[in-house]
Amino acid sequence: MAGKISTIAARLDQLYEFDREPVSLDKLQSGSKFAGLFAGEHVAATEFVIGAFFVLHGVTARDLVWGLLLGNLLAVLSWTFVCAPIAVRTRLTLYWYLRKIAGPGLTVIYNIANAILYCILAGAMIAVSATAIGLAFNIETPSLSDVFPGSVGWILITIALGAAFTALAILGFEKLSKFAQVCSPWIFIVFIAGALAMLPRLGVQSNFSNFWDVAKSRIWNGIAVPGQDKFGFWHILFFAWFCNLAMHIGLSDLAIFRYAKKWTYGLYTAFGMFPGHMLAWISSGIMVAAVGREMNPGLMAYEAAGLAGVAGLILAGWTTANPTLYRAGLALQVITPNWPRWKVTLAAGTITTVISCFPIVFVKLLNYVAIYGLVLMPIGAVVFAEHWILPKLKIEQYRAEKYQWLINWRALVVWAGTLMICFLLPLHLYFLWLPGYFIALAGYVGLQALKRNET
Amino acid sequence: MERKIMAILAIVSLSLCLIFPIVHFLGKIDAAGYKSGFLLASAAWFIFATLWITSPKNRIKDK
Repeated sequence: MAGKISTIAARLDQLYEFDREPVSLDKLQSGSKFAGLFAGEHVAATEFVIGAFFVLHGVTARDLVWGLLLGNLLAVLSWTFVCAPIAVRTRLTLYWYLRKIAGPGLTVIYNIANAILYCILAGAMIAVSATAIGLAFNIETPSLSDVFPGSVGWILITIALGAAFTALAILGFEKLSKFAQVCSPWIFIVFIAGALAMLPRLGVQSNFSNFWDVAKSRIWNGIAVPGQDKFGFWHILFFAWFCNLAMHIGLSDLAIFRYAKKWTYGLYTAFGMFPGHMLAWISSGIMVAAVGREMNPGLMAYEAAGLAGVAGLILAGWTTANPTLYRAGLALQVITPNWPRWKVTLAAGTITTVISCFPIVFVKLLNYVAIYGLVLMPIGAVVFAEHWILPKLKIEQYRAEKYQWLINWRALVVWAGTLMICFLLPLHLYFLWLPGYFIALAGYVGLQALKRNET
Repeated sequence: MERKIMAILAIVSLSLCLIFPIVHFLGKIDAAGYKSGFLLASAAWFIFATLWITSPKNRIKDK
């Protein structure tokens, strides 16, 4: 077993070889590059669903605005004070830094977990985009309680869309990434245009004088639709905060911030958070209220912006599914030795397409986002503790690297143990990660302190 | 020079994408007019922005 993991770890090392060395000073990027990157990265097809779900969960207008403002601010601060400082000190990706801390074996396990989570996320993107195609063929969108596909038509559409996304990813990831840069500012405009165009339908006057009254009474009116939990300020705040938990607290974005000149570049994430995770979510809330609170992203986009809206929804799904498929393929490559790039992408695309047939990935998207962040969060805590806390307590660092451990069992125990404790805590799913993070920090420091050094 | 023109045309198209819904919100054009205008401006954005980013200067930079 250990031999097998070692072989897989060696293959994984080869895949990531190109970024093994810390980023050199001449490769550092300007702040405007970071602003542009984040502005383009956080407007996806799923924003059509997330903002709309807040309406269906009966959040009030006041709770929404304050929750989004503070939650997104906390997300920006998490990038700035947790992720970016470690990135500019190490100049390494999470992959290589985790390898020093947790050993190559645990890095493999982390990579496979990440690949599975990526496939589910890309599946959700495909399912959301499929609602736009379904509209043209009069195929019913899954209801909020659906787990399995409800019709052959839905299966055919998701398979067709998944196959198209996968084929495009195989044809050329690099070129398509460039085209995605063209799409991102326009997709953001689709959200704003759609919301603006729907306001008259909700009774908002052209001088905006009654906007807040309409917002409180007809959009975020505080009444949850049947079958949905009632959300308040804390749900919104925590959701906005943990929506990218894997990236900031989970430290995936070390890969990006290792190119930053200063740790304060973390503040540039505000260019992604406030337009994408505030304005776009507010816009999709307006759109769902204007179509009678029916969770049908395709219908919302069509009613709000016509054929351009439908195209926007499909492109938003595709531009985010494309890099997600690529990353999933890269992670899967470790267990598929000698497979060419196209074959791995095809495998990732096939898994993703099958997942996308199940409407649960889209109708339970908010819960999935919470689980995605929660599962990867303990690894972020382990890395944070190793980087900052162990040297302060004069506990030996980077033992996995120094003593050539395949797996740092303490890190694995903390990862699994934290998740077990989290699922036993009597808290709403959205609030679990925060106590979980401190449990993981304390657990890892405690286990490392039991043996302060190996020599 | 050509690259600069494409950039200007792309930005104008994207601005039009925002102007059409504003004009509709103000009640100056109906929903059908807004949707048609938005669609045309969107098509123009994709054409000019693609030409802009694939113009010679960027290609040299990529190498």
